[in-house]
Amino acid sequence: MNQVRSGDMDKSGKSKSVSADLGTKRRTQRIGEQLRRVYDEVAQEDIPDEFLRLLEEADQARTSKPSDKS
Amino acid sequence: MTDKTEKLSDNEFKRELAGLIPHLRAFARSLCGDATLADDLAQDAMLKAWNARESFQAGTNMKAWAFTILRNVFYSEKRRSWRRTPLDPEVAEATLIANNNPADGLDLLAMRNALAILPIDQREALILVGAGGMAYEEAAEICGVAVGTIKSRVSRARKAVAEILDSNSAGYSDDSEMTAGEAFEDIMQQADNIAGVG
Repeated sequence: MNQVRSGDMDKSGKSKSVSADLGTKRRTQRIGEQLRRVYDEVAQEDIPDEFLRLLEEADQARTSKPSDKS
Repeated sequence: MTDKTEKLSDNEFKRELAGLIPHLRAFARSLCGDATLADDLAQDAMLKAWNARESFQAGTNMKAWAFTILRNVFYSEKRRSWRRTPLDPEVAEATLIANNNPADGLDLLAMRNALAILPIDQREALILVGAGGMAYEEAAEICGVAVGTIKSRVSRARKAVAEILDSNSAGYSDDSEMTAGEAFEDIMQQADNIAGVG
């Protein structure tokens, strides 16, 4: 988690106060968390049956091809 | 013998692809907003991925590969209704209320609305890197642009989101002393961490 950062982030020499830094970090984390939650909210829904049915149908169409000799 | 080593069997492919359906749905939703249209898009992308399975190389990132297909479907099939449907904040709100713990409501609604305002190229870059688990390099491949372009889009998107959330104080009042610029600097660091730099 807390890896060394190899000086590639040029912060133009500005040093922030510890409290501002903590506040920034807290808020930044919150934005990141919310972004992931907006995404995860969908990703964690139950998958509608239709998806798996369509995938199975596509697979069946392959295996039932008369010319298909596996 | 060796010509098969880079291919998954159809059953393996199907299993992996099925495991990606939640991500296809989530990425699709972020592109077109409306839940029904998004699922239509995600299904189309899933079937195209299935049909293209011969071109998938085992050992590479199937999620990135499938995202590329989904994105291509989204942009290429302009006749489809999802292409013309922008993210609608009211739809987002209805979805939010339907899906979510009321205690989380305002924060997520604010984020959804902020995302809805972003230009689509920034939104997709931000979602891919910030939530979809894609490295900058992978996002660049998915979107067919240079890595620097993706970094720039993510950077602008994050800054814009921070500013939108600043101007819309719902859910942010206790951090009102923070400026978007301050938040932004650390956001970029966090993005690097998420994107697995190093």
